[in-house]
Amino acid sequence: MASTSVFLLMAGGQIETAEFPEFDDIYCKYCFTYGPDWIITSGLEEGITQITKKSQDERQHFVWNFPLDVTFKSTNPYGWPQLVIHAYGIDMFGTEVVRGYGVCHVPIIPGRHKQRVPMFVPESSSQLQKFTSWILGRRPEYVDPRVVAQGEGREVTRVRSQGFVTVSFNIVMKDMKKLGYDVLPSDVASVNVPENLGATTGQD
Amino acid sequence: MYRATREPSGSCCLKSHLFSYFLYREMAEVHLIGQIIGATGFPDHSLFCKWGVHTGLAWKILSGVREGQTQVDIPQNHEAAYWSHPIDLHFTTKGLQGWPKLHFQVWHQDSFGRNELYGYGFCHIPTSPGVHKIDCPTWRPVGTIREQISQSFLGGGPQLKNPDVIYSGADRYRLQTVAMGNIHLQLGLILRNFDKYGIEC
Repeated sequence: MASTSVFLLMAGGQIETAEFPEFDDIYCKYCFTYGPDWIITSGLEEGITQITKKSQDERQHFVWNFPLDVTFKSTNPYGWPQLVIHAYGIDMFGTEVVRGYGVCHVPIIPGRHKQRVPMFVPESSSQLQKFTSWILGRRPEYVDPRVVAQGEGREVTRVRSQGFVTVSFNIVMKDMKKLGYDVLPSDVASVNVPENLGATTGQD
Repeated sequence: MYRATREPSGSCCLKSHLFSYFLYREMAEVHLIGQIIGATGFPDHSLFCKWGVHTGLAWKILSGVREGQTQVDIPQNHEAAYWSHPIDLHFTTKGLQGWPKLHFQVWHQDSFGRNELYGYGFCHIPTSPGVHKIDCPTWRPVGTIREQISQSFLGGGPQLKNPDVIYSGADRYRLQTVAMGNIHLQLGLILRNFDKYGIEC
């Protein structure tokens, strides 16, 4: 009974590259957030990449090429997993400074997907805090990076967007169709009309 | 006599309860999973967005937030505002009329924290499953010449008294508006049980 009401979502992929025009020496942490009906059955929920310098050409790209491989199980698409990325850099005094938070949904259709995730940092809420953070060289950070995956309570935050991270996904799903879920337009093209609805058949 | 009338009504109630249970279980469902990515094409990009969902009477939201407000982005390069605001909604429906719409109000916040309306817009949630990239154009009302001159010096400007006009076609004919920027959305749609009722999306 239980096995017929769950579907599986396998997400492979990588945190490929990033653009942060003003910074150097950046590493990423990632974590997945998901709703109450979701469970990770295999793979890592969190991870941390290497520290990379940007490329020495005009592209100025950061390359991590960092693998993501995770499988989820759920009974309900609500609370679909999201990938939260937070990038950190090392400033000229050697302290770690946050360079951006970003979030994207794990794609909801099977296949290969590439996402360009905008990265932003929270801003100080007052001029005084701005000044003290400048003196101390510490930027404001989120206590829990997972807040960027929430829709509620966002109106109180002011952020500065300053870069992008490119993530690629390869998505495989199991038993979505069996549970009646249509994720691709072609899925509903073959309609089986129940007789009790009084629909006419092809003869007349 | 009293018992005779009472019993059938009790079982009838149970029956209707069971019926509604099955109806609910077998109702067509829509999952909307996506993001309000951001906006471009506005005069300035220190923007935030208020959004909401409007549905017909046959639709019910089982879980998810039906309205909200994004963060304020003050972008480093002033070409686009990014909000990365997640949307995750679970609808059930008894009918197709009133397919859900998203409506938006884009507001500009200046360095003093004052807010000014920059645009209204709405878009239908797509009807076919899959991932859709949507650009929602926006507009804002313009006032008289005098109001426009005072707006260019003092800011502010006319706003809609009745926000229903954002997503309804009635009562728009007296409005004078001007084009503003675009809101960018990425919406993923998962449908359930639509083919059972012969609905092709």
